[in-house]
Amino acid sequence: MSDKLILKKDHLTTFLRKLSKEYQLVVPLKNCHGDTLFTVIEDLDSQPPDLVNQPQNSLKEFMLPQQEVLFTYKNSPGDYSFSPATVKPPPTIFFGVRPCDLSAVLYMDVIFLQGRTDPHYLQKRENSVLIGLNCNTSFADCFCNATRHGPFLEYGSDLQFTDLGDRFLVEAGRSRGEEIVRKWGYFFAVAAKEDRARKYQVFLEARGGFARMVHVDQAIKRLREKKVDDSVWHELSLRCQDCGGCAYLCPTCTCFTIIDRPVDNVRGERLRSWDACTFAGFTNMAGGHNPVNAATDAIRQRFMHKLCYDVKDHGRPSCVGCGRCVGICFGGTDIIRFINMACEGI
Amino acid sequence: MAGLATTFGSGAMTNSINEIENAEVILATGSNTTEAHPQVARRMLAAVDRGAKLIVIDPRRIRLAEFAHIHLDIRPGTDIPLLNAMMRIIIDQNLVDDLFIDMRTENYHQLRDMLYRIDLEETAKTTGVPLERIKEAARVYARARKAVICYCLGITQHISGTRNVQSLANLAMLTGNVEKEDTGVDPLRGQNNVQGACDMGALPNVFPGYQSVGNLDFREKFEAAWQVRLPEKTGLTLMEMTHCGAEGLIRGMFIMGENPMLSDPVLSKVEDTLANLEFLAVSDIFLTETAKFAHVVFPAASFAEKTGTFTNSERRVQMVRRAIDPVGHCRTDADIIMGISERMGYPMGHESPVEIMEEIAMLTPIYGGMHHDRLESGWGLQWPCWDRGHPGTPFLHKYYFTRGRGRFIAAEHDPPSELPDKEYPFLLITGRTYHHYHTGTMTRKCSLHNRECGEALLQINGGDAGRLGVRGGDILRVTSRRGVIRITAEISDVVKPGMIYTSFHFSESPINALCIDTWDPLANCPEYKVCAVKIEQGEVA
Repeated sequence: MSDKLILKKDHLTTFLRKLSKEYQLVVPLKNCHGDTLFTVIEDLDSQPPDLVNQPQNSLKEFMLPQQEVLFTYKNSPGDYSFSPATVKPPPTIFFGVRPCDLSAVLYMDVIFLQGRTDPHYLQKRENSVLIGLNCNTSFADCFCNATRHGPFLEYGSDLQFTDLGDRFLVEAGRSRGEEIVRKWGYFFAVAAKEDRARKYQVFLEARGGFARMVHVDQAIKRLREKKVDDSVWHELSLRCQDCGGCAYLCPTCTCFTIIDRPVDNVRGERLRSWDACTFAGFTNMAGGHNPVNAATDAIRQRFMHKLCYDVKDHGRPSCVGCGRCVGICFGGTDIIRFINMACEGI
Repeated sequence: MAGLATTFGSGAMTNSINEIENAEVILATGSNTTEAHPQVARRMLAAVDRGAKLIVIDPRRIRLAEFAHIHLDIRPGTDIPLLNAMMRIIIDQNLVDDLFIDMRTENYHQLRDMLYRIDLEETAKTTGVPLERIKEAARVYARARKAVICYCLGITQHISGTRNVQSLANLAMLTGNVEKEDTGVDPLRGQNNVQGACDMGALPNVFPGYQSVGNLDFREKFEAAWQVRLPEKTGLTLMEMTHCGAEGLIRGMFIMGENPMLSDPVLSKVEDTLANLEFLAVSDIFLTETAKFAHVVFPAASFAEKTGTFTNSERRVQMVRRAIDPVGHCRTDADIIMGISERMGYPMGHESPVEIMEEIAMLTPIYGGMHHDRLESGWGLQWPCWDRGHPGTPFLHKYYFTRGRGRFIAAEHDPPSELPDKEYPFLLITGRTYHHYHTGTMTRKCSLHNRECGEALLQINGGDAGRLGVRGGDILRVTSRRGVIRITAEISDVVKPGMIYTSFHFSESPINALCIDTWDPLANCPEYKVCAVKIEQGEVA
């Protein structure tokens, strides 16, 4: 990351207000029920961003919406036509994105932009500026230190913030971030040597402050060596209650299904909708045969994908360690439980 | 309902759902908990993780049975013999809680005398479970300091449904497993608000809050509040209505959010009734099989389009808030009822859900302290909640039973009304699947649910299937003395030989066309769980 700058915390709202004049602004916000969610912010004065709690959703909801219209169709006598979906996302700044969620976007870039480009994703990604916020303290279920996606982000954001108490240390990562720093330069001062030292100090404290010890490396190794016993899959699959919550909340689960939805007798739309590999229908064949036995292997694909196939293909697990699936899982089949079971007896 | 009301005085879960997690022993009977109540099942699994013992009573090897320490795979409809055997063993082994029985209950001698008359070997034979295993279950349950019984429709949907429940209550009282936290008898309700509907008097014999129609004081109270004369006679039960036939007493019906053309037994009789009504109005969020018979259909608003409260299984009253405005011409249930009422010359004049809740609180003692402003924050309140200052009641029957003393009501075996024979050799059990809800009015409109489970599957044991030459995916014709349906076969070891199982969600394979129209004489709950059928290959002619 390039130059290190300082933004006073007192000036954050003013800074965001300036940004909001040119961009749609998405930040973690606490709603009236006490839940923190990444939300399009309407009114900066009455609702400051919630930078204390972990947002329950991730940026996946914006980059790959739960349901997204791909195109609409018309099928009337003499007129069988398709038209692309016309919704164009406004330029958007995502502020307060934690390293796990930011890493997840980088992972989605690999899925949707390398090789064949997904135009729907590209459109949203091109229009977005990501402002990251490093984690000084971990949340209850986090283990990004073990998946090597945090607690501080090394690269990938447009601007990266680090909380230093009364100020943020700001680093511009990519050209869009540099543009912002240039344009609103009067908000920033050059960071002093102590500020940089302080950042390193905070990083060391953050790295040591995780509540959970999760042996991701060991699990990856045992999966690679095929040393995870079948009974582990069986027990977890039996317990899995098939709700799909883990995949829906996971910032890197990008599998979707295609649905055609008629609007009336003539028109309709094709949309894609989140799916989950733990669902039996996910692998069901047209003839009714299912190569995956739901009762014994329902969740094998999920953990193999995260901790084995993606390590092989991209060098890193696609579990970013955000811990959301741990909080949502009510069958007790979350990834931490799996890792613990896989590592048992080492 | 009737079972617990007569023994304990209150027909609802005695515990909170969270308490299940802390129990030492969980007895789950007639409940396919992982499929029908996953949020309850999760607590059971958590309890097992903490070292609790799980006893599952179910004829099928359901998923929960995989986690069970003891699985009692009884013959369907032999719950009473099984429970009686357990109680007799508990008495024989001196594991009875004498102090509890003395201080808190009545009519014990009736149960004890009956139990001394039964022959354990004979009873075990009736249930099909080895006596040793029943003994083990009895000991495990009776010795626990904190034991929870969870039951569901596998207990109630029998002709002996009420007595099944009473027997469970007997078992709990015999061992003193009521009155405490993490300890009790818990009927699991099947719908988000079925408890609320009962609480609000959607039963033929009570006003809101289980205040009996036959009681003059209650009647006068409601007459004064509503400014009308109220009938002294109790109303009709569901089966008396939907099975009353062409010459029945009923000329008009207003059906809200119910789909008897798929959910009630012997659909031909339901059709006969509905088709011959002078007037039928149906209110639902989608056009159901029942609504197709209606003269007037009201498009009702969904849960996301209305504000009010739902009362769940654990007596917890929670707010639901309007997230979107009603779609199209839909109107909320309250709006529809008040609109009709007004045109019939009785304007109710409630301006908001808050006002309706205020009236509920005023007239329904157990809801006395339930006001929207109190319910808005947090996780709601559990009844009884007598006044504004009352914090709600997590578990019932502390210090004394709702009816005063808990009453033992002894029950003896009453076999199902139709068992397999030569002509109809299979025993059909019906139930629910994970992905669909009731008659599928909502879930079958959802593409992902349909992908996961798109048709009714008839579970048949591998041995039976081999003998009949049936393979998975084959089309079968299933016939009972009342009807015939077409259904796809699924070979499964979940069911034992001689038994078949399917769900009732699918109008293409309406299993209730086959079910028997006998019902529990006390609660009028139909016997969905047992009837005799035969299976043939091929399409229905």
